[in-house]
Amino acid sequence: MAVILTVRDLTKYFFGLAALDSVSFDIREGEIVGLIGPNGAGKTTLFSIIAGSQAPTSGAISFEGSDITGVKSFRAVHSGIARTHQITRPFRSMTVSENVEVGLCFGRGRRTRNVEKEVMEILELVGLHGHASMPAVTLSVGHLKRLELARTLAARPRLLLCDEVCAGLTESEMQSILDLLRRIQSLGTTIIYVEHNLRAILSTCHHVIVLNFGRKLAEGPPEQMRNDPAVIEAYIGKKAEG
Amino acid sequence: MTFADYLNLLISALLLAGTYAAMAVGMTVIYGVMKIVNLAHAGFLMLGAYFVYELHERAGIHPLAGVLLAFPAFYFVGMLVHWVLGRGIPVSDEPTLASLLLMFGLWLVLQNLGYLVWGTSDRSILTPMTFATLRFGEITIPKIGLVVFASALVSLLALEFLLHKTWFGRSVRAMIQNRYACRIVGVPVERTARMTFGVGIAFAGAAGGLLGLLFPFSPDFGRPFLLRSFVIIVLGGIESFSGVFIGALILSLAETFSILIIPASYQPAISFGMLVLALIVLPGGVAGLLARKRRLR
Amino acid sequence: MARVVRVLPPFLLLALLALLPLFHLAANRVKVLFLTFLLITASVAWNILGGFTGQVSFGFAVFYGLGAYTTALGINAGLSPYLTYPLAAAVAVVASLLVGLPTFRLRGPYFAIATIGVGEAVRVIMTNLAFTGGASGYRIVEHVPFRQAEHYYTGLVLATLAVGVSMLVRHSRFGLGLRAIRDDQEAAADSGVNPYALKLAAHALAAALTGASGGVYARYAAFISPDGVFAFQRSVAILLMPIIGGVNTIWGPVLGGGVYGVIEEELAARFPEFHLLLYGLLVILIILFEPGGLMGLLGRARRLFQRGRDA
Repeated sequence: MAVILTVRDLTKYFFGLAALDSVSFDIREGEIVGLIGPNGAGKTTLFSIIAGSQAPTSGAISFEGSDITGVKSFRAVHSGIARTHQITRPFRSMTVSENVEVGLCFGRGRRTRNVEKEVMEILELVGLHGHASMPAVTLSVGHLKRLELARTLAARPRLLLCDEVCAGLTESEMQSILDLLRRIQSLGTTIIYVEHNLRAILSTCHHVIVLNFGRKLAEGPPEQMRNDPAVIEAYIGKKAEG
Repeated sequence: MTFADYLNLLISALLLAGTYAAMAVGMTVIYGVMKIVNLAHAGFLMLGAYFVYELHERAGIHPLAGVLLAFPAFYFVGMLVHWVLGRGIPVSDEPTLASLLLMFGLWLVLQNLGYLVWGTSDRSILTPMTFATLRFGEITIPKIGLVVFASALVSLLALEFLLHKTWFGRSVRAMIQNRYACRIVGVPVERTARMTFGVGIAFAGAAGGLLGLLFPFSPDFGRPFLLRSFVIIVLGGIESFSGVFIGALILSLAETFSILIIPASYQPAISFGMLVLALIVLPGGVAGLLARKRRLR
Repeated sequence: MARVVRVLPPFLLLALLALLPLFHLAANRVKVLFLTFLLITASVAWNILGGFTGQVSFGFAVFYGLGAYTTALGINAGLSPYLTYPLAAAVAVVASLLVGLPTFRLRGPYFAIATIGVGEAVRVIMTNLAFTGGASGYRIVEHVPFRQAEHYYTGLVLATLAVGVSMLVRHSRFGLGLRAIRDDQEAAADSGVNPYALKLAAHALAAALTGASGGVYARYAAFISPDGVFAFQRSVAILLMPIIGGVNTIWGPVLGGGVYGVIEEELAARFPEFHLLLYGLLVILIILFEPGGLMGLLGRARRLFQRGRDA
């Protein structure tokens, strides 16, 4: 499968502290790639930089062959990269469908003729079509996460960055979100997926990248990462001797 | 221009810097702790000038004593204002438009109360000191400038003492750095905020009194000084009070020496121009820039 | 049917205002209405940037003043007044880009403060500019008779245009982007909205309308000065109207402008301090209790009334 995203030596300093330190990896088209690591490992920073919300201190990112290092977030969206946020950020003055409309109208690709129809299609995909005219602020956490996904999907990304979509959800909510992600991937979108829940990672991802202290610790298939001693140590600590 | 002329300008700039620093401090403290852009600062500067003026005119109280009295008087006023408007002045992490507009409304009220009470004509606080000068050869120092500078310095030193030697000061410095941590550790956030507001207004009133000794004033008095206070905060940065000095000095030097290059009537545009430039180029102020350089490897 | 009922009142009002001069209204009243139309124009214009997009500017007097001077210079140079109004708008647009390009990088309150600085800087510069008369002002010499009706209708058309533009923006894709920026600029950018471009566009639109209103005023007044058209008080008035009327709505600024115009006429001449004192208090009350301004209060009253009826 072709490589869709290349990250080389990506580094980000905040006041002398390295949030990311020479991180490099490739993402293959059509995969769901998990990004894991303990808290503070730099996962959200990495997302922010790929999506364009922040600029790296040094390093390079290239997407579908073009260099997008330091490109602003709205331009990244127009190129085909979009992200969800760890803590959802709905547009509070708008309804559910208006929120999705923003992504649709300002995202990638030609302008649609029938905005209403497409908005409803996306809402159906995420399971929110019953809430279309409700104010976004009245939604529950789980529904807000779906709304965030819907709005991001409306921008027609080729690469979707999902930041802890499962946080704060019940078991069944989580399962349906994971189903949703798989469905999105089957429709042709590549997904990078930050998650703490290891079961979610194992059941959904083709490939896993592990970060710790801003560095890439390991990468490989999920099962392999699960058993990698370095990864285990990063999360749990060294196995006691004797 | 002779060397003596330059020296005179420099001395004027230095004296002015002290006063500017005292003027800006009130706003800095409120902004640093509560992240409120206090547009009403202009109104309190103006009221401070009138306060000292009225005490002088009606009760014959010496202006400097009036300035001293302004501290407790305006501290009380500040606490009162915070208590009344409390709803709209939440202690927040980021400056909000709501608090900005609220203070703006307050400024309108204060300014127009001023017009109602005192009319539109300029007043001045005149004392034997006002026109006296000290001479050292070719160096001329206006006595009033020196006196005001000294008073400003004393009050700033008092503030430094307050900030570094009292529990209140420690709470203030903690809140400037990290409000959440304050709550966890047990710093009385709301009470500190209210007292900080009081201190900020106290300094506004007293500084207004000092400025009233130097310049004629009307109810619109505060506005040019408001902008200067912004410039100083932005140039000097919020992080430290030495920043206020740096900012005040840069501004007063720029203003004083600019008359060598541009016509005097354009001078007010200096502070405005610097404000816009500073906001755009130096988000953390000069002090912030220095701090950042220190922290990076 | 209900929809027609809702849409009808503005058209009725418009018709009423258009026919008013025919009823031999006192010249003074017509003047008040005319000035109110200009106020409403600026108020609605400001709201496109301040209300819809959430960028509060304290510097709209710059556009008003530049529009006024453009018209003044244009008429004295022999141009038809109606040619100078679009010219005034164009000059204001250019100014808005010059102001906006550096300042829109700043967030909320910092942007507001920067606009105070810009506004005052422009006033100081204009006060010192010799060829426009400097501080002593500039006089327009027109060799046509003064016809109040002409001014009245120009003002009415401009105000109607402003409201129309406001409605168009509100219901357009552009307006949706502005709302997104107001709600959460970063999330908007993450959804593909280009905040800089949209803010500049909203600013330009608002500036154009405000500049035009300044131009129309200049022709009417026949004499303008920097301390009048570039005054901070004017920027303040322009932003007070939509805030009091109801920011971020279509009719709020209109209501605010109308109220301001009428009250200013009644009070400003006799008690200017009360006028602004009142507004200062209103702003405080609005921020504390009803950020939606007068429109918000009306909405509350209507809901209360409906609840009473349903009970």
